[in-house]
Amino acid sequence: MIVCVAVVGHQNNPLFIQSFTEADDALKLHHIVHCSLDVVDERVNNPKKSGPMLNETFLGLLYPIENYKVYGYLTNTKVKFILVTTDLDVKDADVRNFFRRFHAAYVDAVSNPFHVPGKKITSRTFAERVSTIVKSFGFSSAG
Amino acid sequence: MATMDPLMTPLGQMLLEEITPVVMLLSTPSVEKASLKNGLSFLQTLTPFCSFNNIDVPVRTASDQPYRLHKFKLRLFYASDVRRPDLQVAKEQLKQVITEAGEKEFSESGSDLPEINHELSSSSEYQNTPSLFRFLNKELVRVASFSDHEAFDHPVICLLAVSSKDEQPINKFVDFFNTNKLPSLLNDGSMDPKISKHYLLVHDNQDGPADSASKILTEMRNTFGTSDCSLLCINSSLDAPIKHQDNPWASYITDASPTPSQDLGCFLNIDDINEIKDLLQNLSSKHIIPNMEQKIRILNQQVSATRKGFKNQIKNLWWRKGKEDGADSLNGPTYNFNSIESQIRLLGDYAFMLRDYELALSNYRLISTDYKIDKAWKRYAGVQEMMGLTYFILDQSRKEAEYCMENAFNTYLKLGSLGQLNATRCGLWWIEMLKARDQYKEAATVYFRICGEDILHSAVMLEQASYCYLLSRPSMLRKYGFHLVLSGEQYKKCDQIKHAIRTYRSALSVFRGTSWSYINDHVHFHIGQWYAFLGMYDVAVKHMTEILACSHQSKTTQELFLGDFLQIVEKTGRTFEVTKLQLPVINISTLRVIFEDNRTFASSSATLLKSVKHLITKDFTWLVGTMDHANTREGLWHSLEEEMLPSFSAAKTNWLELQSKLILKKHSQNVCVAGEAVKVTIEFRNPLQISIPISNVTLVCKCSSSTEVRSNENESSMEKNNDVDHFMVSEVNFLIGGGETTMIELSVTPREEGTLEILGVRWKLSGTIVGFYNFELDHPKKNIIKRRKTKPLPNEKFKFVVIKSIPKLQGSIHPLPEKAYAGDLRQLVLELRNPSVFPVKNLKMKISHPRFVIIGKQEYMNSDFPGCLRKKTDSLQSDKDANSNIMSDTVFLFPEGTSVQGETPFLWPLWFRAAVPGDISLYMSIYYEMGDVSSVIKYRTLRLHYNVQVLPSLDVSFQISPFRLRLEEFLVRLDVVNKTSSESFRVCQLSSVGHQWEISLVQAPDTIFPSQSLMAGQAISCFFTLKKSRSFSTLENDMPTMPVRSDVRLVPQSSDDLVYDINSTPLINFHHYERLQQEVSFEGDLNTVDFVLISRPFKSNDNPGFSNPSFVMSHHACHFSTASTGPISWLVDGPQIFHHDFSASFCEISMKMHIHNSSGATAFVRIDTFNSAGNVGHMNSVNVVQSATTDSQAGWHDITPVNEHKVTSNAVETQPGKALSLESASSYIWSGSSSTNLHIDAMSSAEIPLQISVFSPGTFDLSNYVLNWKLPSNGQGDSDETRQHSGKCQGYKYYLTVLQST
Repeated sequence: MIVCVAVVGHQNNPLFIQSFTEADDALKLHHIVHCSLDVVDERVNNPKKSGPMLNETFLGLLYPIENYKVYGYLTNTKVKFILVTTDLDVKDADVRNFFRRFHAAYVDAVSNPFHVPGKKITSRTFAERVSTIVKSFGFSSAG
Repeated sequence: MATMDPLMTPLGQMLLEEITPVVMLLSTPSVEKASLKNGLSFLQTLTPFCSFNNIDVPVRTASDQPYRLHKFKLRLFYASDVRRPDLQVAKEQLKQVITEAGEKEFSESGSDLPEINHELSSSSEYQNTPSLFRFLNKELVRVASFSDHEAFDHPVICLLAVSSKDEQPINKFVDFFNTNKLPSLLNDGSMDPKISKHYLLVHDNQDGPADSASKILTEMRNTFGTSDCSLLCINSSLDAPIKHQDNPWASYITDASPTPSQDLGCFLNIDDINEIKDLLQNLSSKHIIPNMEQKIRILNQQVSATRKGFKNQIKNLWWRKGKEDGADSLNGPTYNFNSIESQIRLLGDYAFMLRDYELALSNYRLISTDYKIDKAWKRYAGVQEMMGLTYFILDQSRKEAEYCMENAFNTYLKLGSLGQLNATRCGLWWIEMLKARDQYKEAATVYFRICGEDILHSAVMLEQASYCYLLSRPSMLRKYGFHLVLSGEQYKKCDQIKHAIRTYRSALSVFRGTSWSYINDHVHFHIGQWYAFLGMYDVAVKHMTEILACSHQSKTTQELFLGDFLQIVEKTGRTFEVTKLQLPVINISTLRVIFEDNRTFASSSATLLKSVKHLITKDFTWLVGTMDHANTREGLWHSLEEEMLPSFSAAKTNWLELQSKLILKKHSQNVCVAGEAVKVTIEFRNPLQISIPISNVTLVCKCSSSTEVRSNENESSMEKNNDVDHFMVSEVNFLIGGGETTMIELSVTPREEGTLEILGVRWKLSGTIVGFYNFELDHPKKNIIKRRKTKPLPNEKFKFVVIKSIPKLQGSIHPLPEKAYAGDLRQLVLELRNPSVFPVKNLKMKISHPRFVIIGKQEYMNSDFPGCLRKKTDSLQSDKDANSNIMSDTVFLFPEGTSVQGETPFLWPLWFRAAVPGDISLYMSIYYEMGDVSSVIKYRTLRLHYNVQVLPSLDVSFQISPFRLRLEEFLVRLDVVNKTSSESFRVCQLSSVGHQWEISLVQAPDTIFPSQSLMAGQAISCFFTLKKSRSFSTLENDMPTMPVRSDVRLVPQSSDDLVYDINSTPLINFHHYERLQQEVSFEGDLNTVDFVLISRPFKSNDNPGFSNPSFVMSHHACHFSTASTGPISWLVDGPQIFHHDFSASFCEISMKMHIHNSSGATAFVRIDTFNSAGNVGHMNSVNVVQSATTDSQAGWHDITPVNEHKVTSNAVETQPGKALSLESASSYIWSGSSSTNLHIDAMSSAEIPLQISVFSPGTFDLSNYVLNWKLPSNGQGDSDETRQHSGKCQGYKYYLTVLQST
């Protein structure tokens, strides 16, 4: 199950954080997302290999923490998408697929002329769309 | 780092200290007693001298190649301590140490937050980590010592100390070996009980000379052998205690000494110390090291014999396999000291301690597989651990080293609680190994893994992990912060609040300034809470204020934060002052300072007052509008007043004459008048979802009177208005609801001359905490009205020079509507009051939009409106009036002697006309001078500003086309559209302006307006004839004999609708400005006509803002040129129908052409006639030379004499048969000259005869002629370039029907 998704701006400022848990663990997830930025930075600054990784937006598993796995994705505008999941065996393809759809949703959200770049995404439509994507992620990985 | 000697790394140093030979010490009570005189136990006395930096002993172990040992250290333990340390005691001790360190660090850490120093962080890892960790880690390593699975803690030698005072010392020595006194580890077989011994006789010199001791020593030597006995004399300083410069013991006494006051080693003089040193050096080099060497050689031989070689290995393997089934306990089989496994381990450890690492490693490897096969996991882990360290020191294979450490660590962890301590130790060593190789990130994860269950332990480890993240390259600050927070949480759980605060504060440095507000709030909130818990409310409040404006949090969290905050503030027991209280948020960009010096303001625009909840004074002077436009507006005022104000040189004489000091200051400072309030408006915003009460909002001011130099500040004092004799500030209380924004107006009224400075704003939140906002600190946008071009310094913005009270006019205009329909004409009254006792004089006034407002005359004050607009039957002098009243944009001077003072208001009429739709800002400025000459300010201006919204009403357009039948007569089409949504208008009257035009209706008014009104949205057209009055030329003659009908009434005659005189005062004036406004390039064109349409609302709705029903609306349309087809107009005059008997002869018809030159110059005209009709017809259709410009207008075609010849022309054009006959042959010819030239004088007419000959009956189009005209290019009337100087006109269609007469 995906517990949290986040959009982080290119100055590492949170643009959107949504948790999908019942428990009151927003702070923890904030911390996890915040920490994951260190790993994103690390990945970006020391790319493992050139070649196929050159234009790769998907950063893969950032790090496992406690019961979570954190995945990252970096757009060309240096906006980071973070995914925190409790599923311990997640297929990379699923995560890639998730990020691809999430990216599309994000692009639509920021294309809104009323959205101020670099400011928090307040669009309700975006939040709803993200929820849908998150739900479908659970299904596709289960089935 | 690769070049660094592994032994020089912290881990290397640690190993050199921790993995060293152990000396077991046994001493009698009298020895202890003697040494306790120095405040030290015997062990402590010896300890400082157990480490040798350069012992320089040659060592030869297994190989034949000797090497020299330099650094060497011994570990001394009392026999009673040679056992597993008591875990509980150790824990307690650690806790105490941590608590103490917490206190110490906390008191040192001051109030300023730590900053992350990236440069320093790399230089030394221990520099910015608390020193506590070093000690703690050492302790944690020691707690794991004397484990039965490793051999480096096995005592190498036993030091037996007996005092010379003891009775029968020899027996005492023997007595030590009473087995039940020895440590259990030696007895249970874990350690070899056969330890070589060294016998030491301790003599206390204070007990007397050493003679007896020497005797005993001799005896000892006889008994135990000469080399193994020695004598140590201590306490040689008999009398005075010695103060050691560098006390060698000080650094070794870590725990609280029982007699801390006593100087350590005070009776040990330099000889004693040297003797101890010699003793231990001897012991090391002559006994310990050779003993170990020997042991290594023996063991090595054994091991080689039993285990080395292919044969032995096979044998061993086979043997192990067989053993496998038997022992399958958790810890594997037990090995006692003389088992071959223990021997190999011992060999490895000894070799390690003597730094023959190759040998050590080979043995560890050997034994490692054995243990693994035996499933002796703890021993296996221990060996792996040592292998890792050996690899590290050999600096051979980093991978191997790490693999071994990880393997050992995991194996220990698998053992559970049994291996916990060892796991910790192993982890710490592993961490050090990683640190030594700059693998801080990996080190951090190891710290994270050794957290264990103990909360305090994990807190310490997490904190260390966080520092690792800080030190890693590049530093991972976020993880640093996160682990600090985790660590703080753990510290808090075990009541180490000070540590918790410390870690959280460090974490703040990461989160501060980021937009991760949830985390930030959490950290600040907890620091605040914890400080409050410690009773440090001031700091607590400081942290709590950071989180007050937490708009992103949920309502409950906001309530929690605010509640806790207020509670803490309450606990402090005093009202707090916070320089930057975030609640409510002050929108500094809305800050406006309004003050009046020369300029005073007046406005009744009440809409702005609505946002202000509290109106402080009844004074109604206000500055309206947003101050963002303050500068442009000031420029506007400036240009408006330019003409009125006295010239600068006049001001300069003032400056020379009067109070030069004050005026000097005025260059940089603003001036305000005593008794007049300086106002500040500022916006307060509540970011929370809960409403907050704000009270006592006041300005903080500093005022100094000019008479006394002292300055009073109420900045820090809590009493308000303590400067009550200098100034008075207004106070506002209000409640801001969640998310609301409130504009607050504050004022300060200086009472005495001097200076006034506005420092900031102060308010009380919830009655307990005072917020103070200093305006100066952040420079607001330049919002202050500036008087001069020289820009004041930022800090001068809030400084004022207060001058003596002077009169101030108050003015208003009523009833100026807020909304009006375009064209609305009203009479207004300007009312001026002067509440001061001094009179003002020399009043002048200027208005920004004379098109909208003009100044009337005193006599109209009481005249009835709109009655005064009606045409007066008796007088014709009005136009003379009007002409004199039309003035350009000059200043209106109130009549000489006008003085405003006292109760009675000064009234003056104004005329208002809503000229064009839109939002109009009207600016009016009234200049006045002080009656009292001694004042600094000689004059002031009263600025009135009104906003009027003008709505579109009637859209009026005119279309003029010339009559083709009559010269100088025009058909005027008037289109009126009602653009309003609900209003109906009655169109009353259309007037042409001036005397040269006469206008009359084509239709009857009833047919135009059947309902007598123009409904909303209705459009209507009507036609008028406009005729040039013949009296034009005699305009100079004063009295035209007969008044020209220049007005047309569009409504039936009724009692209340009299004819409006468009030459009456306001109308003609407004018309003047309209003319100026609508001016087109045809200046000086004599053939233009202006129209004025007068309308009235048909019925008065209950529309607010249009309360006055009796208003008149005028629409002005100017500069309609009648000469649309050029300056030349002509008319062919002749018969329409002609009867002729063609049987007799062809027919000759004479016609006349009237040509009129309406230009101001003599025109040259040539008329050419053609006879080929077909040719002309072609030309007519394709090459239209000078078609009338009006052709392009939709629905307005140039069909000549429409009125008279409609039927005929239509018939002709729609009947192709006839048209064919027209074009088929030229059935007529022009007779007479084919070209006629003539000159026509300006504004005059000429007449030329024309003749045609017709040969058969029919209808003929006589349009095949061309009229060329030419004006002199530099004619006096038309200097305009765009004007045409010549033209060519196709003849008009003129149909002549010739019939056969019967």
